[in-house]
Amino acid sequence: MTTPSFRDVEQLSAFLDGQLSQAEKARLEARIQSDPALAAALADLHQARAILRRTPKRHLPHNFTLTLKMAGIRPPVPRLVPALGWASAVAMLLFILTLGTNLLGQISFGASAPMMAAAPMTSEGFGLGGGLASTQVPGTDNTQVTPTVEAFVITAPEATSPGQTRLVAPTANLVPKATPEPVHIWLYIWLGLAAVLIAVALLIRRASIQAFRRKVGIKRNK
Amino acid sequence: MDEPTLIRDAQHGDLDAFNTLVLAYQDIVYNTALRILGDEDQSADASQEAFISAFRALNSYRGGSFRAWLLRTVTNACYDELRRKQRRPTTPLEPETDDGDEVETPRWLADPNASPEEQLNQAELEHAIQHCLENLPTDFRTVVVLADIQGLDYSEVAVVVKKPVGTIKSRLARARLRLRECLQSFRELLPAAFRLEGERDL
Repeated sequence: MTTPSFRDVEQLSAFLDGQLSQAEKARLEARIQSDPALAAALADLHQARAILRRTPKRHLPHNFTLTLKMAGIRPPVPRLVPALGWASAVAMLLFILTLGTNLLGQISFGASAPMMAAAPMTSEGFGLGGGLASTQVPGTDNTQVTPTVEAFVITAPEATSPGQTRLVAPTANLVPKATPEPVHIWLYIWLGLAAVLIAVALLIRRASIQAFRRKVGIKRNK
Repeated sequence: MDEPTLIRDAQHGDLDAFNTLVLAYQDIVYNTALRILGDEDQSADASQEAFISAFRALNSYRGGSFRAWLLRTVTNACYDELRRKQRRPTTPLEPETDDGDEVETPRWLADPNASPEEQLNQAELEHAIQHCLENLPTDFRTVVVLADIQGLDYSEVAVVVKKPVGTIKSRLARARLRLRECLQSFRELLPAAFRLEGERDL
């Protein structure tokens, strides 16, 4: 009885798994019959393999099915994407126009403001503080000014003595009536149109994504 | 639907077809990863990673055993995980006391003084096998897990590990020898019918 070599063990292992040719198998079987050490080694290998085959199977912690995200699949681009692109472009254009119009309006308003300020308001002087007063204004023809509660402005510094501020109400003949700022009707129209276009674009996009998800969901639950 | 049809549909991007294949093979994939890695969380991660990689590389499948092709993906994922583990070693798996000392239990260490009847149960057998598997070099462990635990034949194992059948035969014989020696130290945990012959001489 000799200790089996590694070559013998390799043969025995392959013999167990039915991986030997007929000739090899016959030769090895004859040796096993005559050599108890080979027979014992074969029994050991057989039992080791039997134990391994009894290794319990573990339950899965969860299913490993792939989600769309895992698989790197994105929802198909909706057919309306080109239209959405145009809508976005138009919306952007309208926005810029709106912004430009608004800016131009402000510039023109700013240009007219100094002219309005050059009106009698500067010479008349409307003061703040000291309460409502009807006083003579230097440099005027001593006309009594009827106070109203329409508006008050701070007088120019030279119109009053230091430390004294006066509040004078404007009158119709002294203060020119400021014309109301023109309402930029187009501004509101464009803003509204842009908002509507953006809302429509978003709604269409949302609807197409929902439709895709519904479709995939139905398919996955089949 | 048969497997070749599912594979073909999956190759054309049908995720439902691929997920049907996942459901069919997830058990063997996860259990293979578990025996190679020995850690449930890492095995789950490796399995998921393997299925994602498999879906993306499905067009590289050119026929043959789909099971072997899939298991090659998971063994690669396991090797990646083992390399990561080597780079960033984690805490030992052995349980610890409140003082931080390791608790030596039959789960991790064979105790020759313990009664066999007390420890003879499925969980302990599993842990003994896992302990012995983890003592094997990775290449040997993979081969023995695939052949003896998952029941693949030599040619399938050869596909999985990309080695000739002769190498598989040799690795399997060495792995079985080493496992036999290791399992002998756990003989008390083994069911009576599976006591190793070697213990007769002890």
